[in-house]
Amino acid sequence: MKTGFFSSPHVKRLAGCMALAFVLALMIGNQEGSQDDYGLAFRQAIFSPRIILFIVIGLLVFAAMTFWPYITPYLLRPGVRPLAVGGITVLVSQTLLKWSDDGRTGNGKFNSVASKAANTDGLAPMAKLFFSNYLGWILLLVTFGLGAAAILISLRALAWVAAVLGVVGGIWAYTSQAAVRDFLGTPDHSTGGGVALIGYLTLAAAALATALATGDIADTRAFVNRLLAWRPGMPLVVLGLIVGVIAFVQATWFSPQGSNQTLTDTKTFFQGNGLANLAYQYLAWLGYVLFIATLLTAAAASYLRHRILGWVAAGLGAVALLLSLITMYDMTDLAAAAGVDGATGPWQNLGSGAWMACAAFFVLAGAGLVVATLGARDEQGELAPAEAPAARSSDTLSRGFSAPGSSKVFLFVILATALFYPPTATGFWQKVLVSEIGIYVLLAIGLNVVVGWAGLLDLGFIAFYAIGSYTTAYLTGALPFKPPSFLHLSPLLAIPFAIAICLLAGVALGAPTLRLRGDYLAIVTLGFGEIIRITANNNPGNITNGPKGAFGIPHPRIELGPIKFVWGQNNLQYWYLLLVLIVIVVLLFRRLEASRLGRAWAAIREDEVAAQATGINTTRVKLLAFAIGASTSGVAGVFFASQIGYINPENFVLNNSILVVAYVVFGGMGSLPGAMAGAAVLTWLPEFLKDQVPAEDRQMWIGAVVLLMMIFRPAGLIPAKRRAAELRGLNRSSSAEVGAVPEGEGMGVRA
Amino acid sequence: MSLLEVDGIEVRYGAIKALKGVSFEVNEGEIVALLGANGAGKTTTQKTVSGMLRPSLGEIRYDGKRIDGTPAHELISLGICHVPEGRHVFPRMTVNENLEMGAFRFKRPDDKLQAHVLDLFPRLRERIKQQAGTLSGGEQQMLAIGRALMGKPRLLLLDEPSMGLAPLIVKQIFDIVREINNDGVTVLLVEQNASQALALANRGYVLETGEIVLTGTGRELLADDRVRAAYLGEEIAS
Repeated sequence: MKTGFFSSPHVKRLAGCMALAFVLALMIGNQEGSQDDYGLAFRQAIFSPRIILFIVIGLLVFAAMTFWPYITPYLLRPGVRPLAVGGITVLVSQTLLKWSDDGRTGNGKFNSVASKAANTDGLAPMAKLFFSNYLGWILLLVTFGLGAAAILISLRALAWVAAVLGVVGGIWAYTSQAAVRDFLGTPDHSTGGGVALIGYLTLAAAALATALATGDIADTRAFVNRLLAWRPGMPLVVLGLIVGVIAFVQATWFSPQGSNQTLTDTKTFFQGNGLANLAYQYLAWLGYVLFIATLLTAAAASYLRHRILGWVAAGLGAVALLLSLITMYDMTDLAAAAGVDGATGPWQNLGSGAWMACAAFFVLAGAGLVVATLGARDEQGELAPAEAPAARSSDTLSRGFSAPGSSKVFLFVILATALFYPPTATGFWQKVLVSEIGIYVLLAIGLNVVVGWAGLLDLGFIAFYAIGSYTTAYLTGALPFKPPSFLHLSPLLAIPFAIAICLLAGVALGAPTLRLRGDYLAIVTLGFGEIIRITANNNPGNITNGPKGAFGIPHPRIELGPIKFVWGQNNLQYWYLLLVLIVIVVLLFRRLEASRLGRAWAAIREDEVAAQATGINTTRVKLLAFAIGASTSGVAGVFFASQIGYINPENFVLNNSILVVAYVVFGGMGSLPGAMAGAAVLTWLPEFLKDQVPAEDRQMWIGAVVLLMMIFRPAGLIPAKRRAAELRGLNRSSSAEVGAVPEGEGMGVRA
Repeated sequence: MSLLEVDGIEVRYGAIKALKGVSFEVNEGEIVALLGANGAGKTTTQKTVSGMLRPSLGEIRYDGKRIDGTPAHELISLGICHVPEGRHVFPRMTVNENLEMGAFRFKRPDDKLQAHVLDLFPRLRERIKQQAGTLSGGEQQMLAIGRALMGKPRLLLLDEPSMGLAPLIVKQIFDIVREINNDGVTVLLVEQNASQALALANRGYVLETGEIVLTGTGRELLADDRVRAAYLGEEIAS
């Protein structure tokens, strides 16, 4: 009887939920014990109200799991997912993100800012109201609750109220943060208000979806598809409108010591100071006019699907972007020359507003381009996405966003972020962006060729990165073993040489290991990685300078006649260089994926015997995978060496190889955007967690994220079509392929 | 002159000699069946012909030129296409993509040929956008043959096309093989299903532990007591 009770699934599940609640209660919150009292943190976790909160959450999870079949019909209703996403986003902004960088607000998180702001005289009254009496939290609860209630009881009126509240809440939150920033008057990079705005707008969108829903069940993806298909480019126009309005009305354009100036303030500031006429006119009126003109043209082009108007919008956007940049240069240059307090030089002291204006123009120009490049064929394609889901059979695999131009929409949003967000970030994040995120994205793109496309597990990938770095060090004369001095190259010129040497190294690794597969190959590549590192460390013939490493690798420079640019210490400059490299590599690899070689890789990954039988030279194709993958990390190596200026073997340890593999797997093996997203997220996460959790706990949280990911999305963040199918087990019936063991399997004895 | 001449080939897997001097020939336009029990060396023979294995002794001549030791991907451009044992379709590619892979040796697949292949296998046309891994065994076998045809073979090597299939499907597939042969493609067929294979084949060879022990036309072999005893499970009437 007793065993029956304990083996009941409900009891097990309840026990599991309670155990997890207990563990989470220990994980989250203050962990500081003391030398004298080792149990302090434990008691704090157990005997505080915290554990009750977690047990309640555990009970809720238990209830949700047990009554899942009753809940699912509600989850399929329109608006549920955006509601959840929006709610979580606002929650994150009010718990994890900073609302102010100023030291006077405590740790800068929402609660701390709120408690300070509520008691501050002179703060704008609306902002003060938002921060006082937990109004920010109440607003979130009410908006979310109304949205949820509207979905539950299908009441459209309620949904409209929630939508309006969402918009109001978003604007209120954003302006409140801005008011705090203006009040404090110090440069500020915090993102809390912006993220809260996005979250509230998502909530509003969810409520809107509920209010306008025609069916009982909504496929979010189909909904987004319809939205994208309605007027191609319209999402970009809306985004441009939001970003542009914030930029031109409210955000900081110029922030020398102790002041945050909006566009009008900046104009007043530079009035009669000898600012170049064009720039002054831009600040005075031209900027607004350009924005409105571009916005209207882009909106009209998008709405009317007018290609010529689309081109006009794109052109206007490009001109406006250029003028914005000229103005930004002129005013910062003048300010620095005139010795304004805290102004340090051109491109310095710019607030986020100026960059947001650039982003808005970029996105609007993008909207114009999307409209302009849509062929006439898309006129018929318009209806397809809405109708398609019913007619799809195997297409459950390719449930991407199939609306015309939608990939371009995403592309422009990502590009706008990559181009114009980094200048507004703090120095810390700029550094992370270059030396962690950017470089690992480049490495992941390279490894994706080997692991994702050709299906060869390579655990020594960092070796090629090392080879690229050391090649740079050699060619720039930073190693004890030097080329003749007239051959010393600028680092950018070393790129082709590094690529060539990495190609050769890839072939050198590939050729002897080609007959190995799977685990065997992984072990040999792992050994290869270690050989390279240890060779560099052991310094045979005093070539590599051993553990001391190579010093004084010069920064990159371009000197082409009149064009001269020298990279220095500023991370931002390297970011744009890296961006150019990444874009070039991605463009090349996209072509490659669709090429004959790409198909050959897919074939040998799927079934090597069949690939051989269809006439693919498997040896050559695998070698090419190794070589091409390696060449990318050669580029990354050049960049790394010339940015840091100092390399040693400790930069190229096994751990890094494994991390790159993890990024590719996390992002989605075999998918180019996936590998990039995986690398970006997993390099960003540890840095982000620095502010949120105690340092000792960081790895645990990253592990938890990876674990959750592998459970709920095993194919990766942005899975490749085929890989997703593989994990969904569609291929079970084809297990016949195991029946015949091909030659060259295992240790690869070939007769 | 015969299209394919195999002259005394020996093949070893390490120390084990799988083929001990096998010789046979295939004439242009014929269907030739290689029969034999498990382990007799049928598949080894075929893999050697298709270039996946290399003989340690002996010669293979195709169209008068020596081809032993030439890798598989070069033989395909000579018109030798191989349907490996156990089907080996690309499971995560669609039927259409599989067929296109079959035409890998050409710059682009031949649309007319693809239409012809799909006429031969109407089942594949129905499932053209389906992933190959979701097809039934018989459909996968059809796809594997169709994929080989996309490479415009002069000599088609079929390795146990009937393996693990229902008798009705086997009959369908053999009918199609005859049709392919009528189009002018020479076929070298490896089979265990002796009665079906010999009914189809012009000539046959029987392999036993790496050697050819019996040869004759399809009819002769079907009538041969030893074949009937070994493969058709009949008592020898004497």
